[in-house]
Amino acid sequence: MLGTFLSHQWLNFWRSRNSGKSLVLQIVLGLFYFLIFLEIAGTGILLPFILQEEFPDRNPITLFTSYIVYYFMIGLVLRFQMQELPSLSIQPYLTKNIPRATMLKFLNVRSLVHVINFMPLFVFTPFTIVVIIPAYGTLAGICFLVAMFALVVNNHFLNMFIKRKTVNNTAWLFGMLLVLAGLKALDYFKVVPMEQLSAKLFTGLLHRPAFALVAVLLAIASFTLNNQYLKNHLYIEELVRDTKLKNSTAYSFLNRFGEVGNMMALDLKLIFRNKRPRSLVIISGVFLLYGFIFYPQYLESQSYSALFLFALLITGLFISNYGQFLFAWQSGHFDGLMTYNFNMQQYIKAKFSLFFVVCTLQVLIASLYGIMSWKLIPIQFAAYLYSVGVNSFVTIYAATYHYKHLDLSKSASMNFQGIGAIQWLQSLAISFGPAVLFYVLNRFIGFWTAVLGISGLGLAGLIFHQQLISWLAAQFHLRKHKILEGFRDK
Amino acid sequence: MISVTNLKKSYKGINAVDVESLTINRGEVIGLVGNNGAGKTTFFRLLLDLIRTDEGEVRSKGELITGTESWKNYTAAYIDEGFLIDYLTPEEYFYFVGKLHQLGKPAVDEFLEKYKPFFDDAILQKGKYIRDFSKGNQFKIGIVAALLGNPELLILDEPFANLDPTTQLRLVEMIKEMAIQQQMCIIVSSHDINQVSEVSSRILLMEKGKIIRDIEGGDTAYEALVEYFKVR
Repeated sequence: MLGTFLSHQWLNFWRSRNSGKSLVLQIVLGLFYFLIFLEIAGTGILLPFILQEEFPDRNPITLFTSYIVYYFMIGLVLRFQMQELPSLSIQPYLTKNIPRATMLKFLNVRSLVHVINFMPLFVFTPFTIVVIIPAYGTLAGICFLVAMFALVVNNHFLNMFIKRKTVNNTAWLFGMLLVLAGLKALDYFKVVPMEQLSAKLFTGLLHRPAFALVAVLLAIASFTLNNQYLKNHLYIEELVRDTKLKNSTAYSFLNRFGEVGNMMALDLKLIFRNKRPRSLVIISGVFLLYGFIFYPQYLESQSYSALFLFALLITGLFISNYGQFLFAWQSGHFDGLMTYNFNMQQYIKAKFSLFFVVCTLQVLIASLYGIMSWKLIPIQFAAYLYSVGVNSFVTIYAATYHYKHLDLSKSASMNFQGIGAIQWLQSLAISFGPAVLFYVLNRFIGFWTAVLGISGLGLAGLIFHQQLISWLAAQFHLRKHKILEGFRDK
Repeated sequence: MISVTNLKKSYKGINAVDVESLTINRGEVIGLVGNNGAGKTTFFRLLLDLIRTDEGEVRSKGELITGTESWKNYTAAYIDEGFLIDYLTPEEYFYFVGKLHQLGKPAVDEFLEKYKPFFDDAILQKGKYIRDFSKGNQFKIGIVAALLGNPELLILDEPFANLDPTTQLRLVEMIKEMAIQQQMCIIVSSHDINQVSEVSSRILLMEKGKIIRDIEGGDTAYEALVEYFKVR
């Protein structure tokens, strides 16, 4: 029976409309996954050598083990964000003549199949073989590995359990992040030496391998907890819980902006009430912080083109993230949308206005980077003007070629549904295109020519936005039926 | 109101819709009947410019519907859940659609007041998104939202199928009333030949994409339909 379930899942994966269509895309994705695995495995194998190189005066094992507690805590947060409960997939089987225990077994086994559970394999195994076994012997090494895997499994089921129990995911996520940050702070100010404790705990394990049993028992406990909970709640309405009253007056301030405001409010609700767009937009917000990581080094080397590329990402990521599925976000009700009483000019204007407002907010916040160097301000504004004046229209144009249905309820991470060649080309065109232009202008004429040239292009787009919007509406009408047909094809 | 000439749409060489000529006038209630696969929904989608015609044309008030958008001013439709925006609450959805017809919040509230019995206390102030309502209640939301702009042309695909008996009877009354009082042109499809002969002033029978019969509604229509649908 378990085999039948798994084979159904397998068929479901390969026969879903979005996966079967393009072989090229699948090969590209396959390569992508392969590269990720290669990178992780590479890190795992090289880790001992990196540690020795970077910290020659410290024992690699103490160093490695001092971060294990953090590793599992961060892992739990990541899981909370990335992993989905595989609950709905059993719905068609609930009324069939299948024992509950089998279904539970399936749910549990199925949930274990996830990238995040395989990644630790590539980090811990090489380290154990290269470093631990020579120092502590084979038995200790094996026990250490067993303990690590048990902890991965424990983390997995603990996350599943928390997710099943919680209604408000965001509050939990921020709570976990707060606890993590708090512990790190206590560690930093030497109140609670977390890293030392972690090292002590896990080197202790190496001296007394039998304690690996504790980890195994933990894993069994969390599995049982989860299993028990599922057993008592194997009803559809209890597997998917959401009891909060929904607010009907959100974003009413936008009503003042007429029909375009009306449609922008619709976009905002779409973003914040659906999982996939919400996570993409949160990513663009988090990206604002990336300046702290990337700006300093390029400021030092005065590579303005690189700074410009990052400024583009920081000020314009919303456009490429939300814009990659601009119309497809609404594919579930596009039929209706096309019969409502508005014309395409208004619709496209609303999308453009949304880009404009969000990017303006982003560039204003990002202006704080001016503290690092005043030169960042003209660079960021050039990037901003180019994003709203050129990239927004390029993105809308590309959206008229996007014919794939999108499911809003799925999580965004590692989700490639609805992504086609267009999306890859699009993200390349809107980030590297202007960066190359900036590089050429900066290299051969000068910094200010590059800044003003790029800004000028953006301004031109803003000045002619009426005409561009009309032209885009006409473009949309050319492919309207094709878009509708694609969106209906779930 | 609507004129269709030589309208053709086929999928993989099979005719889904093939209507030579058809005129529909204001104040008429058209009942569209036919077994599954007869082409009813495809025909509706063609009337709303949601799929490209292979041949022929649809005109609304004399104007081609492809390439123009003015027909959206006076046309409303509910075909399936794809016509609802499922992450809104019903109230938000009504305000959104109302706004598209230049109706402010008070006007929408006043309008909704009239449909209180139709909603039967199951729709408003429930604090739920549309996606969390049952199919029948979603249908109610869709129908009322369609009526919001006071349309002159209303298209409903199988409205009776998902509604409870009380609401079905209410809907029959509503449709009849709107057709007479507002001279609205209403097109409904249905598998319930009893209901459809009751509500329609004119019945179109579809088979394999063609309109094979065009008869007046009422008791005689019911008998004719029974005759046609009896196991052949």
